[in-house]
Formats: sequence, structure tokens, C-alpha cells
Amino acid sequence: MNDRMENLLLALPGLLLLVLAFFLPIGQMLVLSVTGPEGPLAPFVRFLSDPYYLGILWRTVRLSLLITLICGAIGFPLAYIMTKVGPRLRLWLVVMVILPLMTSVVVRTFGWMVLLSRSGLIPEMLRDMGLVGRNFALMQTETAIVIGMVQVLLPFMALSILGVLTRIDGRLEEAARTMGCSFLQTIRTVVLPLALPGIVAGSLLCFTLSASAFITPNLLGGTRIQVLAASIYKSVTATPDWPFAAAQAVILFAGIALVLVPYIKMTGARNG
Amino acid sequence: MANVRLTSIQKSFAKTAVLHSISLDIASGEFISLLGASGCGKTTLLRIVAGLESVTAGAVEIDGRDVTGLPPEKRDIAMMFQSYALLPHLSVAENVRFPLRMRGIGNREEQAERVKAALETVQLGHLSERKPRQLSGGQQQRVALARAIVSKPKVLLLDEPLSNLDARLREDMQVELIEIHQRLGLTTIFVTHDQEEALSLSDRIVLLNAGRVEQEGTPAQIYSQPATGFASNFIGSANLLPAEIFEGPDGPVARFADGQALALARTETARGAVTVALRQEDLSLSAEGNGPRAKVRTRVFLGARNRYVMSLAGQPLRALTANDLDFADGQEVSLAIDPARVRIIRD
Amino acid sequence: MVKSVPAWLRILSVVFVALTALILLAPLIVVVGVSVSESQFIAFPPNGLSLRWYSQVLSSNAYLGAGWISIQIALMVTGFATLIGGAAAIAIHRRQLPFSDVLATVFLSPLVLPTIIYAIGMLMFWSSAFGPVSPVTLALSHTIIALPYVVRTTLAVLAESNPYLEEAARTMGANRLQRLWFVVVPQCIPGLAAGAFFAFNISFDEAVLSLFLRGPTLTTLPVQIYGQLEFSPDPSVAAVSTIMIALTIVLIFVIDRMLGLTKFASA
Repeated sequence: MNDRMENLLLALPGLLLLVLAFFLPIGQMLVLSVTGPEGPLAPFVRFLSDPYYLGILWRTVRLSLLITLICGAIGFPLAYIMTKVGPRLRLWLVVMVILPLMTSVVVRTFGWMVLLSRSGLIPEMLRDMGLVGRNFALMQTETAIVIGMVQVLLPFMALSILGVLTRIDGRLEEAARTMGCSFLQTIRTVVLPLALPGIVAGSLLCFTLSASAFITPNLLGGTRIQVLAASIYKSVTATPDWPFAAAQAVILFAGIALVLVPYIKMTGARNG
Repeated sequence: MANVRLTSIQKSFAKTAVLHSISLDIASGEFISLLGASGCGKTTLLRIVAGLESVTAGAVEIDGRDVTGLPPEKRDIAMMFQSYALLPHLSVAENVRFPLRMRGIGNREEQAERVKAALETVQLGHLSERKPRQLSGGQQQRVALARAIVSKPKVLLLDEPLSNLDARLREDMQVELIEIHQRLGLTTIFVTHDQEEALSLSDRIVLLNAGRVEQEGTPAQIYSQPATGFASNFIGSANLLPAEIFEGPDGPVARFADGQALALARTETARGAVTVALRQEDLSLSAEGNGPRAKVRTRVFLGARNRYVMSLAGQPLRALTANDLDFADGQEVSLAIDPARVRIIRD
Repeated sequence: MVKSVPAWLRILSVVFVALTALILLAPLIVVVGVSVSESQFIAFPPNGLSLRWYSQVLSSNAYLGAGWISIQIALMVTGFATLIGGAAAIAIHRRQLPFSDVLATVFLSPLVLPTIIYAIGMLMFWSSAFGPVSPVTLALSHTIIALPYVVRTTLAVLAESNPYLEEAARTMGANRLQRLWFVVVPQCIPGLAAGAFFAFNISFDEAVLSLFLRGPTLTTLPVQIYGQLEFSPDPSVAAVSTIMIALTIVLIFVIDRMLGLTKFASA
């Protein structure tokens, strides 16, 4: 028994599990996506030549970008405020972020279903204020998906940025102020550039998670407004068409890899 | 208690040699210091004795037995780390009991007794139930010491154990280490970069430089007869000045680059180009005098003493003086030194 | 620092935090509100006050069965992920294996892959290789997505521990097993605890894998709720959801007591 043996033994159960229940299944899915009964690559051709599916793809990208953008716009100030308040208030703000994060997506989406439904609180209020017409509805719209997804993903963004912000030396800001920066200038020239790694990481996380979400979009957008992940789910359950489901998953994976790989390369180059 | 013998120890890390054939005999009960600057290989040598590092070539013997291939847990040693390495989840008493428990020494009562005795030796009997993080740095250090002596190891290895303490505590700990060593008589190898620590604690000092033994000897020998320029510069941080030795009318004289001369002892036999080593504390300064003259560049007030930084023949020269001696910057002062205190290093 | 922030910005940030809190917490508050309603239909603000939906949930075999399966699976996942992930983290931390960096990437990779992609792969592979899915299958797949969290939290505490402890233990005569058990594992405990909480929470709330790998006798609580929401939601769904929220609150409280919530959140 030497050191290497001992460590190999420690890592072995995990490696076995990962190979058997993670890498093999994904590998098999990749193979299945290109070797369907309709011939190689047929599912991809079907997806990419059908305007319906291209529309789904475009909607997924568009909504994911919008959701990521909103999460960033709310998440950065929220995280910044969290670093500046006293420890007691910070604890409560952390609870405010963690509680939704640790609650099942199904439960949170249910809350939005109640709030956004035809007779729900929000449309009622908007109608009462005269801002919208009598036929106004939020459920089964893209707006509903965006609202629900922002609530689901905002904690991820806020915590990513918070992680980086807490490691910034607070004296840097004070130094900037003594050098004549106004508060907003300090944010722009000191805090934002230093928080960038957190913002980028949080954005990638948000984009990835929203592009691959289907529970919230399904429940709030209904069957009419489909996103890619929902279409995958349908291909698996409603019309069992596994090669097509696999092909769509590969397209989703490729799209996400397109966004992630430059980032991993960038951070990899920086760390080593 | 046992002797330690190192035979031609060599160590390389990825083709870079850090120790070049070091041999050392350490007598039973001896307190020996490995002294040197960081990167000289002193800690590597200690870790080789502990078994934490393998040797590239050479042999380690403890108590007459070759232990070169034995892992640390099978060598009967104890080591105190610079960061103390106390187990944070165990209480003070459990930390001290750890080596007894791992080695299966004694039953529970015997172990408890030895832990108690060890903690009393370092005057921490009253803190045995605390966790390490509830102790001050000095107290943690004592726990580490108690843990190192509790199993009565054949060799006690100390890796810069005092370097994280402030000056006051360090002095107290030095006294305590000497007393404990006298009482227990453990063969002790002490690694330090601090010459004062080495001088005050050791029976013998091994001065290491770039993986080689530069000089070894008793503290008095090392201090008063440094064998090399490195040794005299490292111990007592002497001024090293290039000079040439001539036969003068009253015996040998060292002449510096600017032509000024310094009288040497009559017994000095070296001639020609040499390096003259002048200890800071051996130099005395006066406004009027017939020794070599140096120009004061600045004075550093050290409390009990003053340090003058001067220049002589274009070389910086430092001297420690009484704190009431007052010279102005730019003033020329005369140097005097007992010729017997001047060390000549042949180039 | 706070003093030098302009007053209008400070007022703005108070309003901002309040609005954010509303967005984040509104759906949870609504769910709790609906659950105590007397009405047959889902209504918020609730009409009247009653606990009838709770008693209905507690007498519903569908909900109790799903809840029981969820708890069983979450406990299995907690055990698997903590043991396997903790052991792997120790091996990665020691950096004695020639491919340590790759190993870390391998163990964290399930974090990057969207769950839905993994879920399809798992469904296809498992049913073709081993036949119908069982609770253990689902637990293993949950373990895969919980593993990176355990590895990360354990690596984080190990990185902060004194790197000389194992060597010190060697000089004190501890053999391989003793070092692992008496020295390394105790250092890991805060990380293992945080990882265990993550694992339990991830498994208990997980809906994507559970939807793909569900079966007639394998329905977890989130899947049961999702099914209700797709077809016929009534206030009993809100009652179950409220119980899940309450469980989350308890979990957060325990985490804060044991590990400190702020620290946990930054893991």
C-alpha cells in the first residue's frame, strides 16, 4: 500500500459511479442522436429544417438572454448591498436569497401560477389601476415565463456575484474615494471591473439553467409557447421518439458549450 | 535518547540538488542546531531525519540502526512544526496523548499520567481541556512541545519552532527549551535561521549554505573563528572589506582600496589580497583618533545602542555603538578595533 | 463608507431591496396563503382560514407515498454523496495522484451539464442496460448531481486546514488508516456536513431527473406536485408545498446553527 494506491482507492467509488451513471449514459445518448433508425443525422436535419423547431430554438435563446440580463441587473446591486450592510441585516438578506433557492422549483412556479392567473393578484391589480384592458392575461405568455424564471435564477446570480464581491478589499473603494471618485464613479471604475468574474460566472450559470429549464416554462407558458427543453421533454414522454430527443439534447448541449468553452478556456488560462 | 548518524546525504528535487553529500554525527543527548538562510536545505535535512523526505543517496542511522527506508511513523522520533500542527478538533490533553495513543504506549491511566506530566513540564496543566484555537500562540507552542516530548522519543526534531513568536516570548521559550533539554537529555536537532537562537541554545552548530556544511563547531568556535566569508557575514553580520596585507614597520597591515591602513595582529601570516571581516559590535568610533577614517552616512537609533552606517573605501561599513555617542551625518570618524578581533579570510 | 453614499441612493437601495424581496418571496407567501384557504378553489388572498387541506394531504395515500419515497431517496443520496464525494475530495486535495487536476474537473463536471441532458441520457442508458428504473437508480442519478457540491465544500475546508497535520501525525506514529480516520476525516467534517445538507436538499427538491425516471411506483413529491399542477390543482397542492417550504426553513435554521448561513451561502 502506498500513497498513490490509497488515494486511488478513495477516488475509485466516485469514479466508478461517474463512469457508469454519468459518462456512459451521456456517451450513449450522443451515439444514439446520430444513429437513429431514419439514418444518420436525420433527427438533426429534421430539427434544423423545420421552422417550428427553429422558432423554438430562437425563443429559447431570446428568453434565456433576457432572463440572464434581468438577473444581472437585479443581482449585482443586490449582492453589492449585501456586502455593505451590517451582519444582522446581511443574514436576513441571505435568508431571503437562500429560502427560494432551496425551495423546489415546482413549488415556486406554483406560486407564480396563482399570482399570474386570469383572476390572480397581479392581473387584477393591473386591471384595477386601468393599466390594461379587460382581456389582459399573463399566464401562457412569454412574460410569465420571464417573471417566473427570473425569480428562480436570481439567487444563483446574486450568490455568484456576492462570492466575488466579499473577496474584494474594501479599502480599494475608500482609496478610490480619497482619490476623488464619486460614489457612482467608484462603482463603475473599481467595483464593477473587480466583480466581473462573478458577473460572468453568474451569467453563464443563469443562461445555462434557463436554456435547459422546462418545468417553469411548461407550467407558466403552457403547451403553446414551447422552449427547447420542453420540446425535449415532450419528445421523451408524449411521442416517445428517443433519437429526436437525443438530437435536441445534443443541440442544446452544443449551444451551451458554445457559450461555456471560451469561458472555461479563459479562466483556465488565468489560473494556470 | 540515541545518537544520529547521517552519511553522505544527498537530495535532489526534480534534478535540482538541494543537499550535497552531508555527513553528520550527533551524539546521544546532544543539542545541535542546523543554521542557515532560507533555502539552504536545513529543513530538508531535518525532514530527512524525520523520514518525511526520502534521500537521493546516503544513509540515516538512529541509535545504531539504519532507518533510511523506514517511514516516519516507524522511526522513534518526535517533531515540532513551525506552524505547531496541533489537531484543531482535539483538546490540549488529547493532542498531547495522540502520540501515545498512536504508538500504543501504556494503558489509559498511564497515558493520562504522562500527558499530565508533560503538560506540567511546559506549565500548561491548567489548560488541558481547552481546544487549540482557544490558546495564544505561545501556549499553542508549549502544547506542541509537550506533545513532542511526551512519548520520550529517541530524537527530538524542532523546525523553527520559535519563529512565529514575538521577541519577548521567544526569549522565555529559549530558556525553557534549554531547561527541558537539560532535564530530559533528549537528542535534539534544531533548525533555525536565527543565529542568536542557535548560539544561545546549542551544544553544536552546523552552518549550512546552499546544501553544504559551511562550518560546524561549538557556538563559541562559530562565533569567534568563522572559517569563511559566508560564516563571518552570517554570524554577527560582520562587515566584509576587500584589502591587501603588507608587512608594515610594526607588523602586518591591511590596506583598503583608498590606501588607508589597519593594523593587524603580529601573528597574522596571510599576505596579499584578502577579505577583512570586522564585526559591527567590535568596532569603536571616535572623532579624533589615528585609525582609518570613515564617513558617517546615517545613524539608526536602536534604543540601547546606535548603529552607524558609514562608508570606507567606497564600501558600506556598519558599527554598533553606545547610544550616547553622537556624530553628525557626513562627519569623518576614526575607527578602532582590537587587532585580535580582526578576522582575515583568504580569497 | 456607508456614510459617503448619497442620500437619494440610499433611499433607492431600500426600495430596491424591498422590491427584490417581494419578487423572491411572493410565490412562497402566496403558496402558504392558498394552503390555509377555506375555499374549494385556489384563491389568493385566501377566503377564510382552515387547515382542512392539510388534513386532506395527511390522509392522501398519493401524497404520503410520494413524500415517503422522496425522503427515502433523499436520505440515500445524502449517504452516498457524502461518503463518495468526501473520499474523492480527500484524494483530490492530497494531489498525490498524477492526474489530480483532471480528477477535480471530472468530479465537478455534472455541475456544468444541464440536468435535462443528463436525465435523457440516464433514462435511455439505464432502461436499455439494466431494465426498469428503481428507487436506487433515481438515488444514484441524484447522487451524481449532488456529488460536485460535496466535493466542493469538502475541498474548501481541506484547503483551509493546516497542511502539516498529516505529516505531524506520521511523526507521532500514526499509520495510514489512523491518519485518515483520526486526522483527515475530522478536518473534513464541516465540509461534509455542508455537502450533506446540499445533497439532501438537492434530492428532495429535484424534479427534472425524477420526472424522466419516474415510474408507476416511483413518484417523488415534486413530481406528484408537478402532475397536480399540470392537470387539476387544488389547495391541497398548496398545503404540500407549504410543508416543503417549512422543511426548507427548518433546514436553513439548522444550517445556520451548525455552520453559519453566510458561510454556507458562499460555498
